Amino acid sequence: MRVSNVTVRKRLAIALIAGLLIFLIIDVRLGYVQFFLGNSLTERAKDSWSRNLPFEPKRGEILDRNGVALATNISAPTIYAVPRQVKDPADTSEKLASILKMDRQKAYQLITSRQSMVKIPEGRKISHEKAKELRALGLKGIYIAEDSKRHYPFGKYLSHVLGFAGIDNQGLMGIELSYDKELKGSKGYVKFYADAKGKRMEKMADDYKAPDDGLDLKLTIDSKIQTIVERELDNAEAAYNPDGIVAIAMDPKTGEILAMSSRPTFDPAKFRDVPQEIYNRNLPVWSTYEPGSTFKIITLAAALEEKKVDLLHDQFYDSGSVEVGGARLHCWKHGGHGSESFLEVVQNSCNPGFIELGERLGKNKLFSYIKNFGFGEKTGIDLQGEGRGILFNLDRVGPVEQATTAFGQGVSVTPIQQVAAVSAAVNGGTLYTPYIAKELTDPKTGEVIMRKTPSAKRKVISEETSKQIRGALESVVAQGTGGKAFVESYRVGGKTGTAQKVKNGRYMEGNYIVSFIGFAPADDPQIVVYTAVDNPKGTVQFGGTVAAPIVGKIMNDSLRAMGVPPRKNQIEKKTNWLDPVMIEIPDLKGMTVKELQTQPFNINLDVAGKGDLVVKQSPPPGIKVKEGSTIRIYLGEKAE
Amino acid sequence: MPLKKSNPDFILIIVTLGLLAVGLIMVYSASAIWADYKFNDSFFFAKRQILFAGVGILAMFFIMNVDYWTWRTWSKIILIVCFVLLIAVLIPGVGMVRNGSRSWIGVGAFSIQPSEFMKLAMIAFLAKFLSERQKYITSFKSGLLPALSLVFVAFGFIMLQPDLGTGTVMTGTCIVMIFVSGARISHFSWLGLMGVAGFVGLILSAPYRIKRITSFLDPWQDPLGSGFQIIQSLYAIGPGGLFGLGLGQSRQKFFYLPEPQTDFIFAILSEELGFIGGSFVILLFALLLWRGIRISLGAPDLYGSFLAVGIIAMVAIQVMINIGVVTGLMPVTGITLPFLSYGGSSLTLMLMAIGVLLNISRYSRY
Repeated sequence: MRVSNVTVRKRLAIALIAGLLIFLIIDVRLGYVQFFLGNSLTERAKDSWSRNLPFEPKRGEILDRNGVALATNISAPTIYAVPRQVKDPADTSEKLASILKMDRQKAYQLITSRQSMVKIPEGRKISHEKAKELRALGLKGIYIAEDSKRHYPFGKYLSHVLGFAGIDNQGLMGIELSYDKELKGSKGYVKFYADAKGKRMEKMADDYKAPDDGLDLKLTIDSKIQTIVERELDNAEAAYNPDGIVAIAMDPKTGEILAMSSRPTFDPAKFRDVPQEIYNRNLPVWSTYEPGSTFKIITLAAALEEKKVDLLHDQFYDSGSVEVGGARLHCWKHGGHGSESFLEVVQNSCNPGFIELGERLGKNKLFSYIKNFGFGEKTGIDLQGEGRGILFNLDRVGPVEQATTAFGQGVSVTPIQQVAAVSAAVNGGTLYTPYIAKELTDPKTGEVIMRKTPSAKRKVISEETSKQIRGALESVVAQGTGGKAFVESYRVGGKTGTAQKVKNGRYMEGNYIVSFIGFAPADDPQIVVYTAVDNPKGTVQFGGTVAAPIVGKIMNDSLRAMGVPPRKNQIEKKTNWLDPVMIEIPDLKGMTVKELQTQPFNINLDVAGKGDLVVKQSPPPGIKVKEGSTIRIYLGEKAE
Repeated sequence: MPLKKSNPDFILIIVTLGLLAVGLIMVYSASAIWADYKFNDSFFFAKRQILFAGVGILAMFFIMNVDYWTWRTWSKIILIVCFVLLIAVLIPGVGMVRNGSRSWIGVGAFSIQPSEFMKLAMIAFLAKFLSERQKYITSFKSGLLPALSLVFVAFGFIMLQPDLGTGTVMTGTCIVMIFVSGARISHFSWLGLMGVAGFVGLILSAPYRIKRITSFLDPWQDPLGSGFQIIQSLYAIGPGGLFGLGLGQSRQKFFYLPEPQTDFIFAILSEELGFIGGSFVILLFALLLWRGIRISLGAPDLYGSFLAVGIIAMVAIQVMINIGVVTGLMPVTGITLPFLSYGGSSLTLMLMAIGVLLNISRYSRY
C-alpha cells in the first residue's frame, strides 16, 4: 500500500517548514539575549555574583576653634560568630549570654544559624572589659573585631550643639546630624565573586576600594570659654534651681559662636536617660519668650540712629506711670525715677522713658528697626530647630502695642536673635549671621575643604550710633542696673532684662525669665555674652540680681582667656553702701615701718620677715582690691 | 507485510548520537559542582547519564529491528495500560509527589512517570486510528471528534497531577498528527479558538500558573520568587556571548541556577559555548526534524507516516518549549530538553522513539 494522499504530503511539508521557522525564531531569540541583552545581563549577573565586605570609614572629629577634640572616636570591640567553627553551641551560648547580658536562646540560635558569619546585636561596640572577659574564655568560632564608637570626652559639655551619633556612627541630632554627610565619610569595600553558597570563585579577581574617612569639623566654639560658661551655669543651677538656663557667647564682629549652653542638659553618650524634649530642644536657638528690658537696646538704637534723642541733654520726667491709649503703664520702680536725663533713663531701665522714645519714633520706624535687627525671622545659624519668634502684625499695632514693644513686652524672640541684634548694635552697626561650623578639613592631608567666613546681612545703624550705644550700655553696668556684671578694667557694657512668662494667655505671677546681655570691652567689643535664667528660686527675680553676676563672671574669665588686654579709661563704678570700695594698692616697697603706719589706706597688712624696710609685697602695686583686704609684705634689712 | 527492508536512516543515527554526545558532556559540566557538593562525587550525574544513554542506545537499536506494525497491533492494550497507570498515579500513596506534582509511580530509582509513557502510547494509537479512519477525517463527527476526545481525556488526567508541560507536548503532538492526516482547516480554526479559551481557563483556574505567566513577561517583578529561574537562566545565557565562557567555565552552575543539568541545561550550554554552541544544537534538532519528516514522507503506509510524524513532532515540540522557556520566550513549564537533559526515563524513552523512527526508515520508498 502506498501513500497517494496529496493532502498528507502537503501537510507534512507545511509542518516541516513551520517547525524550521520556529527553530529559527528560537535561535534569533538566543542571539538577541546574548548580543543585545548580553551587556546588561552581564552587569546584573556580576552584581549577583559579587559579595561586598564593607570597610567602615572613620567618622570625622568635631574640634573647637583651637583644635581641642569635642567629639571623637574610641575603639569599641564588636563580636562576630562563625557558626561552622563553634564547637559546643550550648556551652558557648551560655557564656556569651552571661557576658553580653542577652537571651541564651537567642545566642544559641545565632551561633547555630546557617550563615557563614553572624553579628551578635548585643555584642556590638562593647566595652574593653567585656571583650577581655570573652577573649579569656577562648571560645571557638567567636571573634572579637575592631570597631569604633563615638566618644564625647567632655560629657554633658556643649551637648545640645554637638548632638550625638547612633550605633552605626550615623548623626542623629545637633551638629552630628546637620553635618552628617561630611562627617560620616563613605564606606569602602572588598568585592569578591562568590558562588551562591558564599564560597569564593577564584577565577574572578577581587576589587578593593578604600573607605573615605569623614572630614574633621572645626567649630567656632572656644573650649576655654565654653568651659567657663558650663561652670557658671552649673553654679547657677545649684544656687537657684531654675526651670532652665540659657547662655550664648559670640564674637560680635564675625557672628562666630564662642560658647553655647543650656540647662537642663544631658550626656550625649546616655541621651536615652533623659526625656526627648531635653535632648531635641537646643534652647538657645529654639526657645522664644518675651525679652523684657534687654530689648530696650533696640529701641535705643533706633532712636539714636533717627536722632530722636540726645542722651545727655534731653531730660525726661518719670512719674512712675504713663497713660497710653487709655491704659496705664507702670514703671518697674514704684513712684518712678523722677527727673532724669535719657542716659539715666537707659541706666535705670525706665519704662516710661522708653515709651517716650517709642512715641518719638512712631510705630513704622520702630518696627522697621526691629525687623532690620533680625527679629521675627530666623537668624540662619547652622543649627537645627531654630525658632522664629513673633512680632505684632504692623496693622494691629496701636499705641499700647507700640509702647509695650518699646520696652520689650508683647514680642517674642529667641536668645540667638537677641545676641545677633545686640552684636550689631555694638559692633558698628552690622548684623551678622551667627554660625558655629568654621571649617571642614581632610584628616589625612589637612586640606581645608570648606571654610566659612563671616556673613554680614545688612548695616542696621551707623558706627557713630553704635559708639553711643556702647557708651550708654557701659554706663548701665558701671552706674545703673547692670552693676553686678562689672568687671574691673574690662569696660563691660550691657543691659538687664526681666521678662514675664505667659501661660494660658496670662502673665504668670512670681515666675520670670531674668536675663542679662553684656559685651566687652566697650571701646572695641570682642565678646557678647547673654544669659537667661528661667524662674530662679530663692532670690529676687531681677536680671540685675541673678543674670548680671553670671555674665560678669563669664566675662571676667573669658576676656583673660582670650588674652584681651585690660583697659585704662573705664567709666568708674558707682558705688553704693552695699558695694565694697575698691582701692588701688600703693607701692609699699622701700617704705620703712614707720612710714607704713602713716599711710592713709584701709588695708590689712600681713607682715612676714624681720627688718625695717619693705622689700617685697603681694599683690603688686596697681591692682585694685576691696577695702579691708589683706596684702602681704616682706620686711628686710636695707635694700642693697 | 512483505516489504523489502533496507538500511536505516544513517543521518538520523549520526544526529541522534551527536546530540547524545553533546548532552553527556554538558550534563557532566553542568552538574559537576552540584554533584560534588551533594554527593562528594563530581561524576555522580554524569555516570548515571552514561548508563541511561547506554541502555537507551541498546533499546534504540533493538526497537529499530522491531517492525513498527507491532505497535499498531499492541497500541490499544498499551493505551489502556497507560490510562490505568495515569489514574493510579493520582491516588495518594500510589503516586508520589515531586516538585508539587503527583506524577511518579513505583519505588525509588525504578519509578516512572506514566504521563511520559502516555505520550508515546497516544502517538502509537492515534497513528492507527487516523490511518484506519483517514477518509472520515474531514468529517467532524466521525473523524475529528473521537480523535480529539481521546486526546483531551488523556490531557485531563495529566492535568490532574498536574503536569502542564507533558500535557502540552502530548496535545501539541496529537494536533500536528491530526493536521497532517488531513483534517479541515476550518475545523482547526475553531479548535484553535477553543484551545486558546481552554488554555486561558486552565491558567485562570490555578493561580501559580498566572504567576508563571507574569514572571515570564517581567521576571524582575519577583526576582526571588516566580521570576527566579528565568533570571538565573538569562544570567547564564547573556554573558555567554558569541563564543561562550569556554567549556566548564559556567558561573551560574555554582548553585545560582537550580538543577542546571536538567531543564535548564541549555542555559549552561549557551553560557559555556556561546551563541555558536547554542545554534549548533538547534541546528542538530532542525536536522532531526528534517529527517523525521522525510521518513514520514517515505513511509510505506499511512500508519508509518503518522507514527513518524507523531514521534518527530513530539521531539520538536519539546525542544521548542524547552529552549523557549530557557531563553525567556515562554513561561516556565518544566520540560526536559530531549537527549541533553539529565534524566533516565526521559532519555531512554526518547531513544526508543528514535528507534521506532529508524525502523520506519528501513521501509522507506526513497
